[in-house]
Amino acid sequence: MTSGNIMPINNELKMPVFHIDDQPVEFHPGEKILSAALRNGEKIPHYCYHPGMSIVATCRMCVVDIVDLGNGRPAPKLQTACSVDAAEGMKIETMNQKVEEGRKLVNEFLLINHPLDCPICDQSGECTLQDYSFEYGSGKSEMDYSKRVYGWRDIGTFVSLERNRCIQCSRCDRFTREITGTNEFGMFNRGHELTVDTYTDRPMTNKFQGNMADICPVGAITEKEFRFKRRVWKLKKIRSICTGCSTGCNITIEHDRNEVFRLKPHENQNVNKWWMCDEGRLTYRIMNERKTRINRPLGRVSQNLQHISWEDAYRAIAERISEMEPTGNEVIALTDTHASNEELFLLKKLLKDGFLSDNVFCPLPKWEQIESEFFINTLITTDKTPNRAGALALKIKGDAENAEVKKIIDGEPKVVIILGNPFETEHEIQQKIKPAQLVVHIGSYHNCWSEIADVVLPGQFYSEKKVTFTNKLQQVQSTDIAVQSLRRSRPEWQIIVELAHALGHKFNFSNVNQVFAAMAEETKAFSGLSFDQIGDQGMKLKQTFKDTGMKLVQAPA
Amino acid sequence: MAEETLVLFKNIRNPKYSKSLEGYKKAGGYQTLKKVFGMKPNEVVQTVKDSGVRGRGGAGFPTGLKWSFMPNGTGKPSYLIANADESEPGTCKDRELMLKDPHLFLEGMLIGCYAVGCHHGYIYIRGEFFPAIKSLNTAVEELYADGLLGPDPLGSGFHLDLTIHSGAGAYICGEESALLDSLEGKRGQPRVKPPFPAISGFNGCPTSVNNVETLACMPFILGDGGVEAFKSFGPENNSGTHLVSLSGHVNKPGVYELRMDVNMKDIIYGIGGGIRNGKKLKGVIPGGSSSSVMTADEVDVLYNFDELANIDTMLGSAAMMVFDEDTDVVQLLHRITRFYAHESCGQCTPCREGTHWSRNILRDFLNGNGSDEKLRRLDRVGGNMLGTTLCALGDAAALPIQSFVKKFPDDFRKYYANK
Ligand SMILES: Cc1cc2nc3c(=O)[nH]c(=O)nc-3n(C[C@H](O)[C@H](O)[C@H](O)COP(=O)(O)O)c2cc1C
Ligand code: SF4
Ligand code: SF4
Ligand code: SF4
Ligand code: FES
Repeated sequence: MTSGNIMPINNELKMPVFHIDDQPVEFHPGEKILSAALRNGEKIPHYCYHPGMSIVATCRMCVVDIVDLGNGRPAPKLQTACSVDAAEGMKIETMNQKVEEGRKLVNEFLLINHPLDCPICDQSGECTLQDYSFEYGSGKSEMDYSKRVYGWRDIGTFVSLERNRCIQCSRCDRFTREITGTNEFGMFNRGHELTVDTYTDRPMTNKFQGNMADICPVGAITEKEFRFKRRVWKLKKIRSICTGCSTGCNITIEHDRNEVFRLKPHENQNVNKWWMCDEGRLTYRIMNERKTRINRPLGRVSQNLQHISWEDAYRAIAERISEMEPTGNEVIALTDTHASNEELFLLKKLLKDGFLSDNVFCPLPKWEQIESEFFINTLITTDKTPNRAGALALKIKGDAENAEVKKIIDGEPKVVIILGNPFETEHEIQQKIKPAQLVVHIGSYHNCWSEIADVVLPGQFYSEKKVTFTNKLQQVQSTDIAVQSLRRSRPEWQIIVELAHALGHKFNFSNVNQVFAAMAEETKAFSGLSFDQIGDQGMKLKQTFKDTGMKLVQAPA
Repeated sequence: MAEETLVLFKNIRNPKYSKSLEGYKKAGGYQTLKKVFGMKPNEVVQTVKDSGVRGRGGAGFPTGLKWSFMPNGTGKPSYLIANADESEPGTCKDRELMLKDPHLFLEGMLIGCYAVGCHHGYIYIRGEFFPAIKSLNTAVEELYADGLLGPDPLGSGFHLDLTIHSGAGAYICGEESALLDSLEGKRGQPRVKPPFPAISGFNGCPTSVNNVETLACMPFILGDGGVEAFKSFGPENNSGTHLVSLSGHVNKPGVYELRMDVNMKDIIYGIGGGIRNGKKLKGVIPGGSSSSVMTADEVDVLYNFDELANIDTMLGSAAMMVFDEDTDVVQLLHRITRFYAHESCGQCTPCREGTHWSRNILRDFLNGNGSDEKLRRLDRVGGNMLGTTLCALGDAAALPIQSFVKKFPDDFRKYYANK
């Protein structure tokens, strides 16, 4: 079985083929040479081409030698691979002397006015100009005039511009024209003075500026948040997903010495294409948050929370519960939709197997999805949690007004398990839970629940564990361990498993893959999926459903 | 001795001619249009193909062939756009037509619109051409008043509107795809080709961009002149008369209408009245500043597309700039290069950086800081723009540099020899 969404299975019998340096390369009819080459893992240097935007063919770096146009005749001169259609039988050389000279002259031209301030440039280490100059450049310059110099301009709330480093590739210009449709940024002047700036004379305020830093091949546009914080070659990158909202943009978490420095979008054509929003980028800050972290298990001893060991915590919970012998209706669990699929599944299982209770609730407020002719706008939703769809798929109870949960707590539950930070603005719920005989809070951060809990168990943030979430498109996607969590914390799924053991129930799960497998086996929503298949592109639920809490709204003009 | 052959300038050379609609009609004007309305559009295109007329805007592309690329039945409107941006240094012939006989050009434009099925034509005119803009505006108003433009010209039922749009002073907006961007209200920058304008031009619709003079040939080709007469004015593949903008150190500079089989020498020494002050000829820039320079020894050739291409230069817009023995070619080249550095749109790397860099090197020579090394570098930097850019402006900047360095090396050396 192939996973459905990595590449569409090609129904055509045979794709047309051309040759790059004698290697056969398949292409879609109408596809450009460069696009087909890159898709097939061939290397052709390029600056201005970006697969998500229109082709301008202006940097001239992607030149190739078409020795046979497919009709037996060669092209008269070097051609830009980004702008020429691939053709059956075409033969292309990318490494001969002509091509090397073609690249060399372009790179020389790009460098004559470049400040070459790599030592203080944040792009250094991930700069296309630097890489290509090293690989294809000549290493010396014949330019002996003073360089073009521009002053500093504040161009954005999220990004910074150093115009002297700009190579005029116009990717940023095309971005606000074609991707966000905001049109506030573009090219000014002409000839040798061509440069970029905002049209409004004011900093940009669009919500996606960080992408301009990503697509800028050099250090001209950089993220204000990241500037001067870390040399990029020190960063280790782990693929994961953003949990800033229910879109679940694919990202890399980039960290050094257990500190996260930035989040970058990771291409996923089914979810976020190449992009993510600035708000999502800023969620890296939470990953480094230490002040409000719960760093070890806590137990309430005569009013005060005190450090206890994991064993004592579990033992205390088990003892209290066996004293109380609660009935199913007297045990409830509250969770937020930041919890992963596995955690929601296990929580539900714990209540069912342990207490014959179905009382797992989460908040399910109504939310808005933006509709827009510009794809990028549709990334943002008002649901700022990553796993509402997972909760719905697993049939966690809840409603927009929290009516159900309010009704059940009127029955004065004895045992309440809280996962994360649900209902944080609902004072009424908190007040009614407070008198319960046993309140267990599982979570990473202190909040209103840890204040009233009898036992507090330290969990892990998603950047510290491997779990899955189901996004608004009902696509199941996985996170990965980027940074080490606190020494005494444990992933929530493991905590629930251990809690079940303490209560005398055999939960045979020693890793998250096994939990996922059980979930796929026991629930209809996840049947047919396996953790390994999710891969780095995610998998859609086999049976999708309609989320009635969603309202489509037009993007503000 | 060579003399003018009057086809396009037939009216202009008539001292009694009035350029008003009435005057043009009296001289037989708009009769061809009437005839053309009786033909099928594809017959018109075929006739233009048969005439062999090549574009007078610079590239010399066969006009009939260009029109035949315009697709039918796309469901989109088709456009014909007259390129009246005339900015190639040395060129001043379109201006002459628009100022002195606007209706000849307009009749050609109307014929063109009919041929390509365009119901709304545009004239993109150079912004600095105030008198020509006025002249055209008046002429277009006359046409609307007369009913030659509007819903039913000459009872043909062929609805046709014309809009005159003036540019804002950029040479690059004469390049057809930059012209289209500019006309659409964007920054005027050349587009990637393909798609060519015939497939996706103005507002993404099929479009043909034609030079003013090219269009002005149509009344003759489709009217009483006819295809054979038109072809007879020049050797095979170089048909028609053409307007030559003759400038520089000749005694009689001006715009002359000549056959395509006239020798350049005859143009300089006959029509042009020879070199000013009895000086000797040093060289000629034959086809606008974008063409490779020719030395005095090379001018014994027929002045047409193919003959000039044979000796590695080009007819371009037929703007001959003649210079005498006293000319400082380094200064001349510096001036040309400064022009391209200023007019480059800047989007593509070699042209943006190369034009400016070459200009700096040339300034070094002028300031007495030249050297063998710099001469070699100038040639290299200039050459690196040749064939490496998105539009032909890169070539236009490279060709003069390379040809001046090759043909007048001693003039450069003089600047640093005594140091
Ligand atoms: C840099 C550049 C400038 C040009 N300027 C003009 C111009 O001013 N007028 C013109 O008619 N064609 C100009 N052209 C040529 C046009 O691109 C186009 O080929 C021409 O208008 C087509 O008309 P034709 O086929 O009748 O010659 C220019 C081309 C380039 C590359
Ligand atoms: S700022 Fe960056 S993206 Fe924009 S044109 Fe310059 S190099 Fe390209
Ligand atoms: S759109 Fe949502 S998931 Fe994507 S980056 Fe922004 S907050 Fe994160
Ligand atoms: S060659 Fe020069 S003028 Fe033409 S597109 Fe490139 S930069 Fe612009
Ligand atoms: S990538 Fe092809 S010209 Fe820039």
